[in-house]
Amino acid sequence: MTTTTQPEKVVVKKNFDQVAWTWMRYSAFLLIPLAWGHIILQDVVVGVHNITTDYAINRMANMGWKIYDIALLGFAFAHGMNGVRQVFRDYIHKPETFRLVSIILLVVWFLITLVGAIALLAIQPVVS
Amino acid sequence: MSSIKTTLTGYVGYRGREGHWAFLLHRITGLGVVLFLAIHIVDTSFVYFAPHLYEEILNVYRSTLFGLGEIALVFCLFFHGVNGLRIAYLDMFAPKDWTIDKTRRSAMIALIVALVMWIPSAGYMAYNILYHNFGLFGG
Repeated sequence: MTTTTQPEKVVVKKNFDQVAWTWMRYSAFLLIPLAWGHIILQDVVVGVHNITTDYAINRMANMGWKIYDIALLGFAFAHGMNGVRQVFRDYIHKPETFRLVSIILLVVWFLITLVGAIALLAIQPVVS
Repeated sequence: MSSIKTTLTGYVGYRGREGHWAFLLHRITGLGVVLFLAIHIVDTSFVYFAPHLYEEILNVYRSTLFGLGEIALVFCLFFHGVNGLRIAYLDMFAPKDWTIDKTRRSAMIALIVALVMWIPSAGYMAYNILYHNFGLFGG
C-alpha cells in the first residue's frame, strides 16, 4: 500500500548568498541592454579614434547619459565582483580565508565604484 | 595551492564537451570583462579628476594592441551575455531541457549567436584600426 504525503513547506530565512544570487540574475537582465548598448555605441559605432576628452566630458555631463552610466556602473561592477567572489569560492575551502577574500573584494568594489561615482556625479559640461 | 592545481588539471582533463566548454568560456569571458571594467572605471574617472591625462589614456585606447584587446572584449561581453541568457532561460522556463543532449545543443547555439553578433563588430573595429593606425583604405 502506498501513501502520498505532501512535502513539508519550510520557510528559510534569506541569507546573503541567496540575495547575491538573485542580484546576479536580475542585474544580468539589465546588463544585456546597458553593457551591450555601451560597448556597441562607444567601441563599434563611434570608435575610440573619434572619442576626444571634450566628447567624453560632455557625454558624461549629459543628464540622460549620466543616469545610464550610473546604472551601468552600479549593476556591472557589482555583478562582476560578485562573480569573482564565486570563482574564489571554488578554490578557497577554508571559511575564514574565503571570508577575508570576500571582505577584500567588497572594499575594492566600494573604492572603485566610489571613484567612478564621484567622477560621474561631479562632472560639468565643457563650454565651447 | 593544491586546489588550484586540481582545478587546472580538472579543467583540461574533464571531458564534458560542450557544457564544459560553455562553463569555461563563461568563466574566462566574465573574468576578462571584470578585469577590464575595473581598469576602465578608474581610467574614465580621469575625465573628471585629470582631463589633461585623459588624452594620454585615449592614445593607449587607440593603439593597435589595445584595439585587438577591445575586439576580444566585445566577444567576451557578447558570449557572456548570450550564454547567461541561455542559462537563465533554461532555469526559469525550460528546466526539463537541462539534459546533456539538449545543453550540448543550446551551448553551441549560444556560441554561434555570439559569433554572428561579434564578427561584423570585429570586422568594423579591425577596419578602424587599419584605417587610423596603418593608413589603409585612404586613412
